[in-house]
Formats: sequence, C-alpha cells, structure tokens
Amino acid sequence: MKKLLIVLIFSSFVSSELVLEITQGTDDPYRVAILPFKGDKKLSSDIENIVINNLKRSGEFTVFIAADLLSVPKNEEEIVFNDFRILNIDYLVLGSINNGDVFYEVYDIKKGLKIRSSTVFGIPNKIRQLAHYVTDGIYEEITGIKGIAATKILYVTQSDKYSLVVADSDGENEQILLESSEPIISPSWSPDSKKVAYVSFETGMAKVFIQNIATGEREVVVENSSQISSPAWSPDGRFLSLTLYQDGNAEIYILNLSNKNLTRLTNHYSIDTESTWSPKGSKIMFTSGRSGSPQLYELDLRKSNSKPKRITFDGNYNAKGSYLPDNQGIIFVHRSSTNFQIALKYFNENFIRPLTVSQMDESPSISPNGNVIVYSIKDGETGLLAGVTLSGAKFRLPSNRGSVREPSWSGFLR
Amino acid sequence: MFSKLSINFLFVIFFLVSCSSMNVTEETMYSGDVKTVQASSVNNENISYDSKAMFANATVYFDFDKTNLTSKSLQTLKSVANALNDNPDLDVVLAGHADERGTREYNLALGQRRAEAVSDYLVLNGIKKDRITVKSFGEERPISLGQDEESYSKNRRVEIN
Repeated sequence: MKKLLIVLIFSSFVSSELVLEITQGTDDPYRVAILPFKGDKKLSSDIENIVINNLKRSGEFTVFIAADLLSVPKNEEEIVFNDFRILNIDYLVLGSINNGDVFYEVYDIKKGLKIRSSTVFGIPNKIRQLAHYVTDGIYEEITGIKGIAATKILYVTQSDKYSLVVADSDGENEQILLESSEPIISPSWSPDSKKVAYVSFETGMAKVFIQNIATGEREVVVENSSQISSPAWSPDGRFLSLTLYQDGNAEIYILNLSNKNLTRLTNHYSIDTESTWSPKGSKIMFTSGRSGSPQLYELDLRKSNSKPKRITFDGNYNAKGSYLPDNQGIIFVHRSSTNFQIALKYFNENFIRPLTVSQMDESPSISPNGNVIVYSIKDGETGLLAGVTLSGAKFRLPSNRGSVREPSWSGFLR
Repeated sequence: MFSKLSINFLFVIFFLVSCSSMNVTEETMYSGDVKTVQASSVNNENISYDSKAMFANATVYFDFDKTNLTSKSLQTLKSVANALNDNPDLDVVLAGHADERGTREYNLALGQRRAEAVSDYLVLNGIKKDRITVKSFGEERPISLGQDEESYSKNRRVEIN
C-alpha cells in the first residue's frame, strides 16, 4: 500500500513521458549554481562535492560554484537574481546541514522564484547516500525526470577471489555480498531491489542462486544435475527466466518462484540464452544462435504458441539485450568488424546506434530512469566499469577491487 | 517526530502546496544495509588418480563460435573412447570453455555445446551416457590471458578428465 502511494505521488510529478534523445543535454545543458552548504564545514563540503559530481556525471548540467559567481547569497533574502541572469544561470540551489539532516531549496532564476523546499532526514554514517538523495531531488525538480544518484550498482570483481559487490551509483561505498573462490557471473536485481540473483560455480558447475541483500540468506533456485544460468526477474518479481541445460542444450524456461513450477519457452537445437523481460513483462527477449550467429529474438508471452521473432539484423553478433524502461527500444552488445560495442536500437528506426567505441565493451545495464548505461570495458587484461548517458556524456567508475565486470543497475530505492 | 534509525523502508512524504508552484518535500533515507556471505566451494573435480593419469592431457580445441570437432580432435577422442571402453569403471567429466570474445552467458552455452559434441562422439563410440558429466566454464577459466588469436585458440577447448 505504501509503495502504491509513492508510485502515484511520483507519477503526478513526472508530467511528460520519458523521451530519450541521443543529443539531449550535451547541446544545451541546464546551468545550475550550487552555493556552499551551511553547517558543519567538513560535512557540508563533502555533501556539496558529491552533489556537484553527481550532477556533472549526468552530462545534463553545467555546474557553477561560489568562485564562478558575481554574488554568493547565504539565504533567500540575499539572492540578487540579476547577478545569475547575467551569467545565463537557470537554477540556484541553497542548502544547509543541521543535526545530520539536509535542508535545501531550488530557485528558478528566470522566474525569480523558489520552486522547491526540501528536507532529507539523515541516517548516521550515510553521508554519501544523503548527498545522493539531495542530488535526486534537485535533478527531478529541474529535469522533471527521477534521478538515479541514490540507486545502486551490482557487479563482479576478480582478484585472488571472486566477489559480488554492491556500490553507490557513483562507484563509491563498495560492499561485498558474496565472496567465492569460484567464478560468479550474471548478477541481477529483484525488481524491489531487496534481493539479487546470480550464477555461482561454487558447487563445481553453474547454478543460479537468489540472495537476500540485508540478511545474506541464499538458496539455489532449481535443483537438478545439469547446469543452470542466466537469471532474469520478471517486472512483478514473481518469476525468474533462466537458461536450463537439462535438455542437452541451452533452453529458456520460466520459473514460478512461489510454487517452483518450470515452463519451457524455447525448443531449438541451437543456443538460446540471455533472456530478459520487457518493462511490462509481456515479452521475453533472448540471444539465439538459430540463424548461424548470435542474434536477438523476442517472444510474446501473451500469445500461446508464439514463435520467436528475430529483431536484430545488422552484423553477425548481437547479444545480451535489454529493453529501455520506456519500452521504446533495446540496448545490446554488437560486433562491428572485430570490435564489441554497446549499441542502441529504437523500435521505430531501422538502423542501430553505436554508443561506445572501445574493443571489448560488454554487459550493458540501463539506469531505472533510462538515461544512463553502465557497461564493462577492458583496459588490457583488467576489466573496468564505464558509463555513457543517452545524451552522449561518458564516464568511468572507480573500483579498488581488481578486475571489474558485469554491472547491473538497481531499481529506484528512494 | 521521526525515529530515524527504525525506518529501514522507503518512506516519502510530499506536501503539495496547492496555491503555489513550489514543491515542499520531506523524506527519510533507505538504510541500504548489506550482509557479506562466504561461498564454501565444493571441489567436484577430484577425479581418481587412475583417471587423471590416463587423460590428464586430453584436451580438444575449436574454431571461433564453432562447436564441431576437427579431424585432429577426432584422433584424440578416439584414444579417449578406447581408454574408457577398456576401463568400464571410469567416469569422465567434459568441461567446455570459450575464448573471452562475446558475452559471458553465450560463451557459457558455447562451452556446453562443445562439451556436448565431445559427449556425443563418446556415446557413438560405445560409452554409456551415465558415465559422462558435461559442463561448461564459458570464458571464466582461460588458460592463456593474451588478447590475440594464439591465446584465444588455446582457450576454445574441452578438457577431458
């Protein structure tokens, strides 16, 4: 009930549909002034810096700080809007920290009006998260789109051990969910972001596990003697699509998580794997080798006996697809000549848009607001995470944990 | 007013100020607590020494994105089949592998198909299916770490143990 209420409230704020355009933002970024936050000096400058970096990373903002400005107001009364208009600044943010809580205000410079007044109640020792909440409030107020600073990214690292790690959306605050001496692959979030599914080789063979993030409880989802892989949650969290190998070949099944019933979806002698659900759960997209090379196919779950429909035709390697959250297109791994890159295809276009340019780009995962893709790249033999916004801005995420790969973006947590 | 620590769940209150365009919001943070788990690995690859000695170096190789057995592989597999026929108490594990190019799950499936191709050959040559365990490590266990065809070709393999 609480959840439903939140969804309703948010949808009343997001007035326009999410429209993704490749050039959005870079040509005409929002110009926003972030004034020094008041309160404890160290704390305020930490929070301020995280907010500024978050906004910059989105690729949609040009950020002005005190040194860039004609006047530096400490409160509402001191704001001289013309000092900001001269610099073509669109928005101004004032903030303060008091007793671990942040209070902030957003002003529309053109209108000369306060448009938002917000409080975020802090939790001890969660300064970064507090700053992410503030960022998302500012982002949402200005763009009309929900922010993703307070979301999390799940990924796998390999050094002397394999680790399943969860971090903030800026790559900081890494926490380990699982450590193993054997490989871990294909991590993904439950839609409510309270559980993760992944493939672990700890029993000597690929098996799919579900783990509760807060309690650490975990279970093998299907018990059989062959390997099982490639888990993906249905949007309602009731089903998991999986690749089972019990038929002597990779075939996609749907597992009902409450009664453990399995329903077979594919039946072909070639490889069928990497299944993923459309945003409303009515379709499954997967990679199949049935044409002689890996290509993406779709199955309509609303029709019985629906035949897989091929949806990629450019080149001889298109794999690991995911749907954009607004269901207007897909992102996937595409091979052009010898390079593997992340590509985007809108359903209403008959061409693909390459988004990245390095040689070994893999595992794209899209942010819940549909604006940013995080993916893995190779720098020599070391794996790193990189991001690209649909507006074209690129960034890399730090990790101190050896070779990093297979990022998966959580849903909204706020 | 709020007991901050006890609220683990997302809890957002929006006050819409009806007569102005200003949004007034209050929200309490999600705690994001995490528990770390250590996986205890079961090593299923402890093969009896007899079997190890006999097949230790039996590995067959494949072309990129291919699962068919080459003529060189067939020679190797013929001696493996003979050894298994001569030693009916021995079981065999076929572990398929792929090179690092392409996606991890597709490579896992590719490794599996390679191991299945070896399994099919052994079954055709009189080995009972229940003596054979087929599995794949995809691209997770490369033998050679270079990023060139020489390394890739060493990694596209089925190891027979």
